[in-house]
Amino acid sequence: MAKIKIGKPDVAIDAPAHIRGVPQGNVRAVYSKQPGHHPDGTADARRSTGIKAAHLDPVLDSMPNLPPG
Amino acid sequence: MAARTTQRAATESAQLVEMSWDPITRIIGNLGIYTKIDFANRRVAECHSTSSLFRGYPMFMKGKDPRDAGFITSRICGICGDNHTTCSVYAQQMAYNVKPPPMAEWIVNLGEAAEYMFDHTIFQDNLVFVDYCAAMVAQTNPSVMARAENTPAPNGGIHGYRTIADIMRSFNPFEGEFYREALRMSRVTREMFCLMEGRHVHPSTVYPGGVGTMPEPTVFTDYLSRLLSMLDFVKKSVAMNDDVFDFFYQALPGYEEVGRRRVLLGCWGAWQDPTVCDYRYETMNDWGRAMFVTPGIVVDGELVTTNLVDINLGIRILLGSSYYGDWVNEEPFVTRDPLGNPVDMRHPWNQTTLPEPQKRDFSGRYSWVMSPRWYDQRSGEHLALDTGGGPFARLYTTALAGLVNTPYVTTTGRSVQISLPKSERLPEMTLEWKIPPWSNAIERNRARVYFVAYSAAMALLFLEQAMERVRAGDIRVFTDFKVPDEAIGCGFHEAVRGVLSHHLVIQDGKIANYHPYPPTPWNASPRDSFGTPGPYEDAVQDMPIFEENGPDDFKGVDIMRAVRSFDPCLPCGVHMYVGNGRTITQRHSPMLGAQHG
Repeated sequence: MAKIKIGKPDVAIDAPAHIRGVPQGNVRAVYSKQPGHHPDGTADARRSTGIKAAHLDPVLDSMPNLPPG
Repeated sequence: MAARTTQRAATESAQLVEMSWDPITRIIGNLGIYTKIDFANRRVAECHSTSSLFRGYPMFMKGKDPRDAGFITSRICGICGDNHTTCSVYAQQMAYNVKPPPMAEWIVNLGEAAEYMFDHTIFQDNLVFVDYCAAMVAQTNPSVMARAENTPAPNGGIHGYRTIADIMRSFNPFEGEFYREALRMSRVTREMFCLMEGRHVHPSTVYPGGVGTMPEPTVFTDYLSRLLSMLDFVKKSVAMNDDVFDFFYQALPGYEEVGRRRVLLGCWGAWQDPTVCDYRYETMNDWGRAMFVTPGIVVDGELVTTNLVDINLGIRILLGSSYYGDWVNEEPFVTRDPLGNPVDMRHPWNQTTLPEPQKRDFSGRYSWVMSPRWYDQRSGEHLALDTGGGPFARLYTTALAGLVNTPYVTTTGRSVQISLPKSERLPEMTLEWKIPPWSNAIERNRARVYFVAYSAAMALLFLEQAMERVRAGDIRVFTDFKVPDEAIGCGFHEAVRGVLSHHLVIQDGKIANYHPYPPTPWNASPRDSFGTPGPYEDAVQDMPIFEENGPDDFKGVDIMRAVRSFDPCLPCGVHMYVGNGRTITQRHSPMLGAQHG
């Protein structure tokens, strides 16, 4: 390491960014915890809202399901 | 605060006058240019480029969670932070062995295209053109301004300005019409960026594995409507740039020598093609060549390579004039790359940063910038590549490689053709950037505006691809992954002003080594251990001076045009030293209640 004098860090430099017990965003898909997300990568309106989500799904199965923002 | 100081400086001979600008204004960072000017022969005799800013990212990245790298390195820069996030994400995706879904890739590409349009516009029209505006030229070259008044603008039919002087007046800061229009455009392009990457300039929705942007149809149509609204501006802008720069060549014969250096260009490629790119090191050559801006190295007008593996292995970080200790006796992190090729101790993967602060000494060490070089196996030379401010190298390598052929952008081997559709006022247009005979200040600036057009054209393609996926119901934007305990990765991207690489080594699930190499270390590097000057030094040294002012009211506009053509990204104020024993001090403190004086 460098020979220059530096101040004492406020936190350990390798302090974990991730807090144990909190789900990690990148973990392998946990679909039960992510309503509206399907294992095949598609999604439905439940992804965006919990209020009458089914009303916002497409009227025909042949239409793409594009959840509202 | 800005300070301008004039004093008599020690000179080597009666003819040479030392002149220095430190820090240089209208750029980001602490860049100083120290020159010796021979006023009798009107040329720059010697130049040193120095930075007084030390950041230390490689030091405090150690031990951190690698997933944080994109968010931390984004803070390297307040203008192209998203380029760092993107590059870091590329490096991490290689390390985690994860390929994001195509939609995520199109979204990142659209965000980066908006960033290029934003940043190039604000730099070119609001910062570079201050050096070419009527107010400046009237002070530095009154005869040129007089000629501009009587020179009709060849592209007046497109941009609506009758004479070159009219164009120059529209560049005047704060009051010029084009200056203000460019500011409005930079707002629109920033909105486009935020639609895709959440926040400018530190994205909130770009992560390794994909993006958090919700790919709704309205996101893309909002982007499209903004893009179409700026096409008129882009077309006008290209025409105005061509007129003004061509006029400078005519009005000042020999102006091509300003900022000229050997054609030594590097481009690390931009915008991944999700149909090819899998982020594996083993296939890096294939997906590198599929990028929508081709990576490559150009030496004396000849394309040496487009292979990202060769580019990666050739990178050497040299010391020589930098305030750092050598790390050759430290333990290497990576001795062989995943293909089995040996990795040099001076490669960023093996670098250890050992800062040694000391007094500035132009005969010894004088900068916090290191000297990145590219080792040319053919000649054994360590080449001081520059980025030509970004667009110049990008267009140059893309034109020579001839690999990009899309509906809106095609390459011919010696030029790049950019087709822009009909817009509100102007018809469909095909713009052609041709490889110029020189690598100089004017051509670096001209390439910048063409690259805005290139980005706009590419954004149209990315939009079409993304909207096609949305219509088919494919809205996947994230791929899950696990952080490995041991891995290495490298990301290659183009920051707005040129090459950007991030090299990452993970050990025990934490960052063991991380080295971002943005464009400015390449461009602003000091003399290396072989004595080779960095590109700024090289471009300014031996450059002729066209300014009509003498040493007493010398502005150094030609030198500033040369340095600013590289789009320096280091922060501002001016200290200036002139001859004749006078000392002028101007201070400006824009603070409530502060006394001016």
